[in-house]
Amino acid sequence: MSRKRLKNTLVAGPYLVWIIGFIVIPLMFVLYYGLTDGDGKFTLDNVRAISEPIYYEALFLSLDLALVCTIICFLLAFPLALILRNMKITNKGFIVFLFILPMWMNFLLRTYAWQAILDINGVLDTFLGFFGIEGFSIINTPAAIVLGMVYDFLPFMVLPIYNTMIKIDDNVINAARDLGASYSQTLMKIILPLSMPGIVSGVIMVFVPSLTTFAISDILGGGKMLLIGNIIESKVKRAGNMNLGAGLSLILMIFIVVNMLFQARYSKGEDKSSLI
Amino acid sequence: MAKYLKKIYIGLIILFLYLPIGVLIVSSFNNTKVLGKWGGFTLDWYKNLFENEAILNSLKNTLLIAVLAATISTVLGVLGCVAISKMKRSTKSVINGVTNIPMLNAEIVTGLAFMLLFIGIGMKLTFNTLLIAHITFCLPYVVLSVMPKIEQSDRSMYEAARDLGATPLQAFFKITLPEIMPGVLSGFVMAFTMSIDDFVITYFTRGSGIDTLSTKIYTEVKKGIKPEMYALSTLLFVTVFILMILANRAPSEKREKKPMSRKKRIFTFAASGVVAVLIIIAFIFSMKDNSPTSNKELYVYNWGEYIDPEVIKMFEEETGYKVYYEEFETNEDMYTIVDRGARIYDVICPSDYMIAKMIENGLLAEINYENIPNISYIGEEYMELSKGFDPENKYSVPYCYGTVGIMYNTTMVDDVVDSWDILFDEKYAGNILMQASVRDAFCVALSELGYSINSLNEDEIKEATELLIKQKPLVQAYVVDQVRDKMIDNRAAIGVIYSGEAEYMREENPDLEYVVPKEGTNFWVDSWVIPSNAENKEAAEEWINFMCRPEIALLNFEYILYASPNTGVKELIEDEELLNSQALYPSDEVLARCEVYEYLGEDGDAMYDKYWTEVGAASSELADEEEEDTGMGRMFVILNIVGIVLVLVLLIVWNIREGIKERKRK
Repeated sequence: MSRKRLKNTLVAGPYLVWIIGFIVIPLMFVLYYGLTDGDGKFTLDNVRAISEPIYYEALFLSLDLALVCTIICFLLAFPLALILRNMKITNKGFIVFLFILPMWMNFLLRTYAWQAILDINGVLDTFLGFFGIEGFSIINTPAAIVLGMVYDFLPFMVLPIYNTMIKIDDNVINAARDLGASYSQTLMKIILPLSMPGIVSGVIMVFVPSLTTFAISDILGGGKMLLIGNIIESKVKRAGNMNLGAGLSLILMIFIVVNMLFQARYSKGEDKSSLI
Repeated sequence: MAKYLKKIYIGLIILFLYLPIGVLIVSSFNNTKVLGKWGGFTLDWYKNLFENEAILNSLKNTLLIAVLAATISTVLGVLGCVAISKMKRSTKSVINGVTNIPMLNAEIVTGLAFMLLFIGIGMKLTFNTLLIAHITFCLPYVVLSVMPKIEQSDRSMYEAARDLGATPLQAFFKITLPEIMPGVLSGFVMAFTMSIDDFVITYFTRGSGIDTLSTKIYTEVKKGIKPEMYALSTLLFVTVFILMILANRAPSEKREKKPMSRKKRIFTFAASGVVAVLIIIAFIFSMKDNSPTSNKELYVYNWGEYIDPEVIKMFEEETGYKVYYEEFETNEDMYTIVDRGARIYDVICPSDYMIAKMIENGLLAEINYENIPNISYIGEEYMELSKGFDPENKYSVPYCYGTVGIMYNTTMVDDVVDSWDILFDEKYAGNILMQASVRDAFCVALSELGYSINSLNEDEIKEATELLIKQKPLVQAYVVDQVRDKMIDNRAAIGVIYSGEAEYMREENPDLEYVVPKEGTNFWVDSWVIPSNAENKEAAEEWINFMCRPEIALLNFEYILYASPNTGVKELIEDEELLNSQALYPSDEVLARCEVYEYLGEDGDAMYDKYWTEVGAASSELADEEEEDTGMGRMFVILNIVGIVLVLVLLIVWNIREGIKERKRK
């Protein structure tokens, strides 16, 4: 038995070495840099920096925009997934394909295309001009950033919800209806709870990247709004202050750890491949 | 009725998802460089694409990394899954938790973590570091699709095979692998797609000379994307689209009689992906290397759009070197990378104050001017000027020079523009483009206030910060080179820009005019330098010498239209108008008003960075009453804190409740 275990550990060896070497240790480095100053001395200054208004305001703005983005994504995705589920499309791969396909056009280019659409004298502006609507422009505002986020991350909300929904047995729904539940009751008491695992992973897959993005706010925000991602990026890439960047990353990770705990609760025993 | 509404809803979402893609595809046939403005049909970009080595190279890197990362992560992942599935439940969940970190963690943190790891253990950023990072973030996607398949698979089949005398390997390849194949394939395709689409992690971990499509696009976004990029993306997109459609359509006759099983469907989906990948691999290997084959390499790091690409080719042909040419956006950006030794370059082209900083920190090597006979063409006055940042003329050779000034559109501005005041005029709210780099932004504010642009007086800088914050609501966007495209396209009335862009912009849009404000401004010089860690110093000197050759300098001048300190060039220019251009060749009277940026020292830099972040974080709303503004600000902070606490408490309570429920169930 123990020989078998040993052999098994050997097979797992390369994998374990890899995830320890390239997942755990790099995070240790973030921790180390975050808790030291430029000379390698221990300090909490980098983490405590979050108490300065410019940093916590950027963090709050990011949280707010990420929250709005997640809510919009959910409101768009849930009915969509429900409709798609009820359409009983035999070729499930096609739906996945429809939402994955845009990813083959580079995400920066797609975001940049939104800039061209929303810009002053841009595509949308010109189009609305035909109808005599002028001066409608959301470029360089938080609304533009949220739009870009919703656009980029919507597939990550749709796919998990759709994938859990198609596993709901029709008989369960029919039973509820037979027993006199109204449509809205069925929706709230049957479909919603049963799609919860998909919703949870969708929420996380949207919330985390939108909380930490810096490219979208850069391209669609006109450099006028700093999100926490922009600050970390500029500290590391432009000001060369790795320690402060790492310290702020540690703050960011608190939110991510909360998210992970949240998901761990739900994903237990579920088919985790819900994204695919 | 409801049915139609549903269809319309789906249609709208699809439209939303594919609208930008449509814009990009249309742009690839568009005869102007400005995205979103139709200028006639053309196929030129497709033709140019196959001659644009930089883009083709980045494509090759992207695909190569995606193929390698997807393959290696699939092999690693399958191996891991097989072994982990046999482990104890608690061990399993710990390992799964760790595996999922790169997927659930913020990309920026993952990217930063890798960068710190590689720098921390003294590993140079190369192709390999990039590959390691990609393999790692692809792993969770592989594991996620393989693990469930292994857990669903029938262990007794495997045991039976073993009982009948198969070795574990045989049993694995004959029984387990075929059963989990759909999961393996879809994991592979997922990993491949993720690797192709990744930007953030690549941005933090790429090595010198290695651009992927994402990083190439990101640097191009700042200065206007080359339409060849749209052409390439269209080709990629259409290829994948056709392949996927074929894979989905092929067995349609059979399907009508007997719906395909879920397994089979995923299998076809994944198989089509694999076919696509195979075609791409063939493409990578068939792509011919145009460059001369030699191991003589030269790594050049220059500003974006700052050289005639022909010149690079000519240099390669003449000397037999393979040139790896890369671009940076700001001096600060470049400094971070060179200082950390994260990437090694042989020759770089920074600006004045940054050269001073690099000299002070020992990052530059002395140039052996005996190897650069063409330096005799560089005007004496410019060598004299260089002494401002390179006191003994030991480290640098001037490449271009100019001023920072105001570009305005004469049809949109009716005031006389001769002062920075115009940038603070509420009349032009929403029509002003400011520079996004620290020194240039502060140059504007400090000059406006009548202070030196090299001020180290904190009170003066505070005053300038306040002025910039006050200006913020008027600003349409903070950009670097994008001023050019936006103003050519009449998207803004006034912009702060380098004089070198002026002539190109006026060629494209004759309504534009460039002025050097009366309060004075920055006079800058960009010079070639050789970093002290350069691996090929002789090649670097050969490069600098080549750049100083009048015919070559002329080619560059005609391409970028930035003034050249090369005396030979001025003689070769035939266009009278260019010779008389105030933007290109400022008069002595103008020059007398200008100042060169000095290196401010580490503390000075930190101070400017701190105040610049303050400007960045300031509200861009017009504040009528200051009290109301701070009141709103406080509300915002309090609401957020309350929100965060509330969510955390709810999550914890809910978590405990679920836990109790579960225990009861047991």
